[in-house]
Order: sequence, then C-alpha cells, then structure tokens
Amino acid sequence: MSGLGWRLGAVLATVALFSFLTAANFIDEETRLASPVLPDDGLRLGLDLQGGIHRVVGVKLEEAELQELVFLKDALLEEADEDPQLSVSNAVVENGVLVVSPRDDGAGVKSWADDSRSLSLVSEEAGRLEYTLEDQVRQDVRERGMEQVLEVLRLRIADPIQGIPDSVVTRQGDDRVLVQVPGGQIDRDRLDDLLEVTGFLEFKIVQDLADNEKLLNDRYPTGLPPGTKIVSEQDPEDDRKLTAYLLPEEPDLTGDFLTDARVAFDRQQRPIVSFSFNSEGARRFGELTGANINEQLAIVLDDRVYSAPAIRSRIGARGQIEGRFTTEEARDLAVVLRSGSLPIPVVIEEERTVGPALGQDSITRGYRASILGLIVIIGFVVGYYRLSGGYASLALAANLVMLMGIMSLFEATLTMPGIAGIVLTVGMAVDANVIIFERIREELRSGKAPRAAIATGYNKTFWTIMDANITTFITALVLFEFGTGPIQGFAVTLAVGIVTSVFSALVLTRLMFSVHPGTQPVEQLSI
Amino acid sequence: MREIVPSGTHIDFLGRRHIAIAVSLAVLAAGVLAGAIQGVKFGIDFVGGTEMAVRFDPGVDVDESALRNVVGRCGVDEPSVVRYGDDVERKEFLIKFKGAEAGEVPDCPLTETDRAELAEKAEKQGGDAGNLESAHIISRIQRGIRNDVGEYETLRVDFVGPRVGSELTEAGVQAMTIAVLLILAYIAFRFSSRFAPGAVVALVHDVGITCAVFVIFGLEFDLRVLAALLAILGYSLNDTIIIYDRIRENMEIRTKYDLLDVLNRSVNQTLSRTLLTSVTTLAAVLCLLFLGGEVIRPFALAMAIGIVVGTYSSTFIAAPTLLFLETRFGDSPDAKAAAAKRKKEKDRERAA
Repeated sequence: MSGLGWRLGAVLATVALFSFLTAANFIDEETRLASPVLPDDGLRLGLDLQGGIHRVVGVKLEEAELQELVFLKDALLEEADEDPQLSVSNAVVENGVLVVSPRDDGAGVKSWADDSRSLSLVSEEAGRLEYTLEDQVRQDVRERGMEQVLEVLRLRIADPIQGIPDSVVTRQGDDRVLVQVPGGQIDRDRLDDLLEVTGFLEFKIVQDLADNEKLLNDRYPTGLPPGTKIVSEQDPEDDRKLTAYLLPEEPDLTGDFLTDARVAFDRQQRPIVSFSFNSEGARRFGELTGANINEQLAIVLDDRVYSAPAIRSRIGARGQIEGRFTTEEARDLAVVLRSGSLPIPVVIEEERTVGPALGQDSITRGYRASILGLIVIIGFVVGYYRLSGGYASLALAANLVMLMGIMSLFEATLTMPGIAGIVLTVGMAVDANVIIFERIREELRSGKAPRAAIATGYNKTFWTIMDANITTFITALVLFEFGTGPIQGFAVTLAVGIVTSVFSALVLTRLMFSVHPGTQPVEQLSI
Repeated sequence: MREIVPSGTHIDFLGRRHIAIAVSLAVLAAGVLAGAIQGVKFGIDFVGGTEMAVRFDPGVDVDESALRNVVGRCGVDEPSVVRYGDDVERKEFLIKFKGAEAGEVPDCPLTETDRAELAEKAEKQGGDAGNLESAHIISRIQRGIRNDVGEYETLRVDFVGPRVGSELTEAGVQAMTIAVLLILAYIAFRFSSRFAPGAVVALVHDVGITCAVFVIFGLEFDLRVLAALLAILGYSLNDTIIIYDRIRENMEIRTKYDLLDVLNRSVNQTLSRTLLTSVTTLAAVLCLLFLGGEVIRPFALAMAIGIVVGTYSSTFIAAPTLLFLETRFGDSPDAKAAAAKRKKEKDRERAA
C-alpha cells in the first residue's frame, strides 16, 4: 500500500473509533452493559443537565479544636483532684483558649502541660495561664475531624447499599465536603436533614410535662429544678410545638450503644423506627427501664423530643421510636441513627440545585443551538470556499464526533458550559482552515500551480495555527486549574476541542486534498 | 473565487490608530465612570446570596404582588422578584436575595420560635446566622409560595455563602493573572520579547472593554461571565498572533522596510481571514445567545462582545503597540533612524 493509503487508513480508523464511542452514548444503558462490544461507560451528564443537588458543606473544625481543649481541661481538673502537686483553682475554655488559674506559682500546671504534649503556652500572667493547642495536635484534630465527618456523611448519603444511588461525598480542601446527589432522587429539605442533623440520640426519663412551654414554666415560679431543662415535641408537618417536657439535662443513655436502626411498622401500619443496642447498651437500657416502670421515657434527637412512650415493662436490647413521620422521614431517621452522630457541626456554604425540568430544557436548547450553529457555519464556509469549504465542513463534523468520542473515552462530564465550549469550538475550528485556505488563495494569486499552492499553504501556516491554538490551550488549562464545577466543564471541552480541531484542520483536510485533486493535474482549484 | 475582501485591498489602518485609541480609551473611561456612578453589579457567585428560579404550573394564575409579598415577608436582605426567561407564557420567575437577618420578622412562614431557634443554633455554630438562615429560609419561602401563590416547580436554587463568594473572587483574579503571564511568556518565547507587550495590551484591552460594556449597561458579573472573559483572552490572542505571525514573515522577507507599511500590509493581508473567522465564531455564539436559554445567556453575551472587540483590537491595538515599541526600542532600520533623531535632538538641546 502506498504512503497515502496508510495515512488514509490510519485516519479513517481513528475517526471511526471515536464515532463508535460517540454513537455508543445514544444506546441505552441496559443494552450497553449486556453487549461485550459496547463500552460500559460513556459521556456523563453534569448535574446541571440531568438535574440534581450540588452542595459544599463547611465543617466547623474550630469546634473540634474546642472539643479537644475542653477534653484536656477536664483531664486537668480530674488529675488535679488526685494529685496534690497539681494545684488548680479554676480552668475554663473561653474564646478558644484554655485559661488555667493555678493556686501556686503554676509550676505544676506547666509541667503537666508539657507532659501532655498537646498544649502550648501563649500568655502568662500572675495566676493566669493561657494555652492553645500545639500546632501538630491542632492539625491532627482537624484531620481526624474531617475523616469522621466524611465517614458519617458517606454512611448517610453515599453508602453503596443503603445510600442514594450515584451520589458522591468527597473532601474538598481542608475543611469542606462536597456532596452531589444527581437526579430528583431526594428533595432539598430531606438532604438538609441528612446533612445537618447532628444525630445525637438521648434517652431521658420525663420529670414533668404540659401542653406548652409557658404552662410548664408557670408550674415552677422559682425556676426549674436544678439539672433539668424544657424540651419540646414538634409536629414535623408544620413545626408546631405539641408538648413541652421537663427533662434532666444529662441523658440517662445515649445512642452511642446502638448497633442497628431500621424502619418498621406498628399495628396501624404507621412507620416507626426500631433500633437495637449492643450488650452494654442493652444492660443499661434494661436497668433504666426496669427502674422506671410507668414513667415516660423521652426519646430525644438533637434536643427535640420524638416520642415519649410510657414504660410498661423492662426493655432489653430492642426499642422503637414512634413519631408522626412519613415512611421517608422514618427511613432518614434510621439512616441518621445508624451512621452515628456527626461529631462536628457542619454548615452549608454553597448550593447549586437544578431541577430535572431545567436540565432537560438545557439539553434541548444546547442541542438546538449547536445544530443551528453548525448549519450556519457549514453553509457559510461551503458558500465561500466551494469544494474546499466542503472539505472543511466534513473535517468540522469529524471534529465534533472526535470531541465527543474523546470525552466519552475519558468518561468526562458534559455540562451546560461544556456545551457552550463545544459550540465555541465549532465556531473557532473553522479558523485554522480559513487561515490555510486564505494562504492557498494568496499563493494562487501570485501565480503558483494549484498543487504547489496547497503545499505552501499548509506549510507556511502550520506554526501560525499551532501558536494560536497553544495559547488558547493555555487559557483552557488555567481555567481548569482555577475554576470550579461549571467552569471546569467548559475548560475540558475547550481543551479537547482544540486538540481535535487542530487534528481535523491540519491532518484531515490535507488528506482530503491528497485524495482529490491528489496527483491529478488540476487547472482550477475550487477554493 | 468569492472574496469578502478583494485582493490588493490596502486600507491605511495604522494611520487611523489615534482615532481608534481615542475610541477605546473613551469606552474604558465611560466604563470606569459608570462604575463609579451606578456601581458594578456582582452576581451571587462573588458576593454571596441566594437565587431561586421557579416555574409555575400552567393552570396557576400567578399574582406577582403576592409572590413579592411572600419573599418580602421573610425578612431577607435586598429581595427581588423578576420575570425570568424569554417566554412570558411559561410563568417563570427569578427570586433573589442577599441573605437573611435573624429576628425582626413579622409573619414570614418562619415563626418567631423557629427564628429564635435558628438564631440560637447559628450562635452555637459560630455566629454566621445569615449563612445558616439562607440555607433554611429557601425551604420556608418555597412553602410560603406554595400556600399563597400556587403549585410550581423549582428550576434551580443557587446559594453561595460569603466565604465561598470571596474565595471565588480571589480564584478568578488569580486565574486571569496567571493566564496572562503564561501567554506573555509563550509569545516572548515564540516571537520576540517586543511582540509580547502588544499582545498583552490587546488582551487587557479586550477584557477591559468587555467589562466596561457590562458595567455601562448594568449587566451582572458572575462565574459564567468570568469563564467568557477567559475564553475571550484565548480568542483575542488567536487574532493577534495570526497578524503578528504575518508581520514577522513580512519583516523577514524585506531587509529594508518601512515598519508602518509592513504593519498595514500584514493587517490587510490577513483581513479576510480575520473577518471570516469572526463571522463564523460570532454566528455560533449568537446561536447560543438566542437559542441556548437563560443558563448560558450571560456567557454568550460576554463572548459576543468579546469577539467583536477582539477582532477590532488585533488590528487597532496590537499592531500600533508593536509599532510604538519597535520605533522606540527596536533594532529595525526606521527604529534606528528614530533613535538617531531623538539623540540628535537631545544633543542639540544640550548644546543650546
């Protein structure tokens, strides 16, 4: 086979491969997975096209640092009680610093702090020592906090079996978590509940109750009994408060001992959440319920009473939460209980939710804009450059197919800005051919023979085209590096589009000219 | 052979450079002035806030004032409710607000106790009450609209917290700077260092004019516009590089030349390419602008402006900058002549 034959074969094979990858996207998933020939994965649609919720959750790691300081403070006070060498009159955590007031010159406290290897002294006055966390410890605390939050949120949202299909929970930067839930699988409110609920479950014996907080307060004109507080039960439907309870501040038992929680139904077919304890929890729960028969047991989640059933008999390993919830809410509550409590509070910092209707709308509109853009450009180029314009248009079509093919190969995500990138590529892709054709025309005008003009045209413009495209490629890379979601989508298509358009303009059209007019003598080049 | 620019066309572009520069400066000045008077509108991407787009069911008779009422009642900062989309029949609205302030709300769907609770929760979490409330208040507003106006579908909800907003701004400025520096380095490497400033002046010019147009017409800057500005950098450069390339080629061909003539000749020779490419790219972008829908409109609009400005600047800004630098610091024959002339004048001054 001649050199031209090989080149033609290689190029056709490349284009055919990418056409195949592009076309595979239009076949539904079932068929694709079943067929051994078709690729399993292809182009993915961004959340803005298929609809979905994108959230960036900030983790309050300062809170984790505070918790660590409080932990160290408690340890100090405990030790001071036993060790006469360590004399402390007071220790508190305020404004993010641990303030210790020693009774003596503070030498004991200082050596204790040195031994702890966690604290560093920031200020020292008579009778007042201020400590913050050692830098390394602070790092460790933050790192551990992030891991815990990630684990809990993964269990709640992206668990492969129990979670929401195709959802993603990933770490973003030092103190953020990115949560993505595609499609209309869950509404915003439910996601709020799954993300932000601390999930701290407590069991408390009810001391007193009334219809509302005011009535309950009126019963204790001199203030609430020490060690108690008022907690309300709310209707989840309209957040109306139903009953006010007087409960001990400290829980009698917490959800730390839970091994499982799942949705069940009571005799009226209302959803309830049933849970089971591990052996330690079962023992404590048995003691608690055994000692308080005929009392009411309040089941409190994040300072809100879910239900307060009366204890009829001693209960062991299993219990249940009744409440006025829907099956969905019960399911979410079970998920939250199973995943354990969120050790550090989180706050939503960014949200981008796209409804499925808008997603579909965007696809249709993007598709329409691309097709019309393509038609206008092809019409223009063919009208202007005739047959050569036809070659350029063929190359342009091949360029689009290759662009989609490469994106499918890498399982890239197509977003609405990505579609914009494609349309822009279409517009700019012709540029290289315009440069070449204009040059060929110039050479023809200066009296060169058509075949020589073609050769000179391609050779002289090669570096111009490379320069122009490399600089655009640089901007695409910068966009990708510094952009967030939507901008990155645009950068990806722009970068891939540059590669394919250079290939199609320089290689494909040149090959077409080699085939026709090829080596035949040609009087008039249609350009 | 069809030609939009007949061969042999010779327009004295460089001769009109002073007018062009005056026009560009005037637009930039108008932009700065407009920015000083009416301010620059930044979208929630950069300053934080919430945007909700809703589409009411076809059967719902939307009472706009009731809709405004619901939003206004919720005690949010700078609430606005505007019609959205190009199709009036579709009953689409865009609801925007900056943030929510805790307390002082008469009868939002959010009750007093809810508010107190949220404020308390926010307090516990470190005090960004506005941040916390915005995320929750969306649900309250949605409930309120459903009660007071009618059934609808949420098209999109965008909420950006203040911290994210300022980080996005920073990243945007950083991206622009790095892109410009890398491009500068590339041109200095591929051409000569005297070519690079001209290209960068043209880049800054294009981004500046596009921004100025946005400011003058009170259009909003958001992430999509930023993406477009960066794409304009790439596009503008395309144009400039192609003309530069031709200038370099023409400089190599003639050992003795008049720089002004070379520049004019190069611009003219590449003129049909410049126009053709601009037309095709503009056609594609206009398709996006008119058919792409609301989501992509800001991007397409900024791109369209940028393409027009970019085409203009490669001719009227990049080439004159090169002319200026070459005559001032270059080693071309006429640069040397100009330098000699300057020296002679100086000598004469010194003598006098």
